Amino acid sequence: MNHKHAKIIFVIFVNIIVLFGCSPIVEKNLVEEIAPVTFWSIQKGEDENFRMSTLIPPLVKEKKRLLSVQVDLLKEGVKGFNLKYYRELKVGQLRMLLISDEIAAEGISPLIDTILTDPDISKRMYLVIVKGDFDEYINSQLGVQEDLDYFLYRMLKHYDNQGKMTVVNLHEFMKALHSPTHSPVLPVFEAGNENFQYQGTGIFKNDKLIETTNNLEEQIFQLLDNDHFLKYLTIRDLSFVLGHVKADVQLNIDKAYSELKLNVQLNGRLDEVGREYDLLTREKLSSFESEIESYLEKQTTEFLKKLQENKVDPLQVGKYTLGPFSKPLDEKEWSDKWGRMEVKVDYDLKLQPLTDIKND
Amino acid sequence: MFRKRKSTGIGNRVERSTSQKNIPITLEVLRERIDNMDDAKIIEHQTQNNKLFVLIYVGTLIDDARVNEAVIEPLQGCVNEKISDCISVSEITDISTLKEAEKKLMLGSVLIFDTIENQLFAVNLKNTTGRGIETSETETILYGAKDSFTENLEQNITLIRRRLPLTSLKSEKFTVGSQTETKIILMYIEGLTNPDFISIAREKIESIDYDQILDSSQLAAFMEDHNHSMFPQFQQTDRPDVCAFALGAGKVTILVDNTPFALNAPISFFHLFQSPEDYINRWIVASFLRILRYFSFVLSLLMVPIYVALTTHHYQMIPLQILFVLVDTRSRLPLTPFWESLLMLLTLEVIKEASLRMPTKSGQMLGVIGGIVVGQASVEAGFASQVLIVIVGISAIASFLVPNYLINKANTLIQFIILILASFLGIMGIFMGIILLFVHLNALTSLRQPYLAPVAPFYGKDWLDLFIRGPLVWMKTRPEALHPLQKWRYSRRR
Repeated sequence: MNHKHAKIIFVIFVNIIVLFGCSPIVEKNLVEEIAPVTFWSIQKGEDENFRMSTLIPPLVKEKKRLLSVQVDLLKEGVKGFNLKYYRELKVGQLRMLLISDEIAAEGISPLIDTILTDPDISKRMYLVIVKGDFDEYINSQLGVQEDLDYFLYRMLKHYDNQGKMTVVNLHEFMKALHSPTHSPVLPVFEAGNENFQYQGTGIFKNDKLIETTNNLEEQIFQLLDNDHFLKYLTIRDLSFVLGHVKADVQLNIDKAYSELKLNVQLNGRLDEVGREYDLLTREKLSSFESEIESYLEKQTTEFLKKLQENKVDPLQVGKYTLGPFSKPLDEKEWSDKWGRMEVKVDYDLKLQPLTDIKND
Repeated sequence: MFRKRKSTGIGNRVERSTSQKNIPITLEVLRERIDNMDDAKIIEHQTQNNKLFVLIYVGTLIDDARVNEAVIEPLQGCVNEKISDCISVSEITDISTLKEAEKKLMLGSVLIFDTIENQLFAVNLKNTTGRGIETSETETILYGAKDSFTENLEQNITLIRRRLPLTSLKSEKFTVGSQTETKIILMYIEGLTNPDFISIAREKIESIDYDQILDSSQLAAFMEDHNHSMFPQFQQTDRPDVCAFALGAGKVTILVDNTPFALNAPISFFHLFQSPEDYINRWIVASFLRILRYFSFVLSLLMVPIYVALTTHHYQMIPLQILFVLVDTRSRLPLTPFWESLLMLLTLEVIKEASLRMPTKSGQMLGVIGGIVVGQASVEAGFASQVLIVIVGISAIASFLVPNYLINKANTLIQFIILILASFLGIMGIFMGIILLFVHLNALTSLRQPYLAPVAPFYGKDWLDLFIRGPLVWMKTRPEALHPLQKWRYSRRR
């Protein structure tokens, strides 16, 4: 190799390094020297600040520990964790951000923006709203469940896109937050002393949590928006459970944006009946179906009315206003029209009965 | 001061050869030549009509029984004027120069000196003892022909000729090696093989000027276009069916005397992944196996470097559960992932090499001790993590799927290079390594034909027998990359 060739190869090598964006400051990522954390829990601190907590993956003969710091800024917390622990905490495997409902009610944009700007943190990180003291729950479970944080993540991953529970990642949340017609939602969990339980879907107006769905609203929300499927639809007022419920949802908005027609075709089987129903004939089954339909219509209308009053649109009704040659509505316009819109809900239920039925 | 001085010794080859020409062939000169050769014999006999003849031969190179039967007995009873008329062997050559006499003597001929006529002639009674035709040990297959080449050149040619009974199957003879006088046979099918390949091969063989050519791989080293590459540019095989297939496709085959391995050329990188069994299995199964071989090659090349890259630079990419196991186990280890992997790979290579050199039964035992005991012990002693042992194990097993042993060895070295790149630059280093590998492969040639054909340059039809092994009925043409003179495999279409 002559001198000229050596020069060319050197220039190519330097260019490759520079073009790939290699940083001259090498960050050490040796797995034995780092502590990759899976979640951050952010709660209200004692004063105006935050209390950030995380679990550290254990080494041999070391117990899992919950680290907590009081901070004003999120990144201050990361720095604080590192000062408290001998291994460097890394956020490249951060899979969940648990935010307390108190912070969520005040707005989570500053937190989310900080996380978004960090290139190490994945946009697929799940966001969860927690009611109650999550630190207390974690501390109580440390000795009982070893890989609690990991299994919490697996649970969210399992229900992602399954429709039984609202599961939202950072990317989806940001997409909804910046959409003119779509209100973001997040799952809400309640942390007690020994329980961590799914409560429902938290509905956001801009970046503030304003409402959490109750049991029936949650089921209606799952059917109408999230994958249109429920394994069990429980209606306590009528004492029965429908199984494998599939919903075919059709939304129609008139041209003047004054009326919304919501037609839901429900298919399911009668899994459990809690009280005495005589469903042995086709006629009685039909009347039972009508009873359920009218009940669901009433509940759905009320749920939609509540959303209209709050001027939030978690069901993405606004996307039905989009057309190929029309100008899309801006956020304010849609919010006004959605608030005044008349809603007509129609359910059509087809039930598979528990047993064979008589035809007469 | 540091330069070596030129040797001033006598015995210059040119001078000697010219002087030999002028020396008259006499019994004394021949006697002098075979002085101090214990196995060389000079026997004097008389014919019935009292003619004295002298036999000169090297006992270890000739068939003793045939000397008696074909030379001594007929000559003793000879009454003819010319004693050469009494010998019942077909290959009798008159010798005129001393050099010729020496050559014949050392290649297994009996020199007969007629003292009356003062004439020397050679009778070929070469000792043909050698091992019989056995099953190939380097390219074993379950179904298909079991015969393989031996060290006997003539026998090897026979094995090919039996498969290709064509008068157009030509075999050109060359002799290379000033000491070894190794016979080389260049085989090709006239009218099918591209004449360029034949002339290049001929030219390359003729240009060899070396004292010893003992093996076909030595010959390949002199014929290769790129001597410094880790990749073989000739397919070395001891299977006559592979050679017959290659000849039929339009390649040339080179046989070397005293070597059971023939050379096929030109080859491409992808030929190294083809096994004779591919053409015996059902095409879907064969295709699956071939894809598996490519996959295993990539796996064996990249698995350990990826482990090093991920554990050193990209912990984000490791699945969470494995990451926790790694953090836990690696925190006990004294070595970084790079040194840990390097040591484990070197240990594995030592075990592999040792088991090759050991007798068969001990070799198996060594594999067990090396694989299980050393692996398990090193984990328990805290030298290596369990994850790495699994990865090294899988990558070692995967490397055995590549049928060509030479690429298998190249594979290990490339793995080390990519490993070093991965430890410094992470995944980017691995990609740089792969890019460099492709650049190198793209620059290689075999008999001056591109090594990455039919991918680069692109020959679409040849893809039917590249990553998959398409049905034979679909393979209507010979590989386009070889530019054969007869394109169609079907005689009726031609």
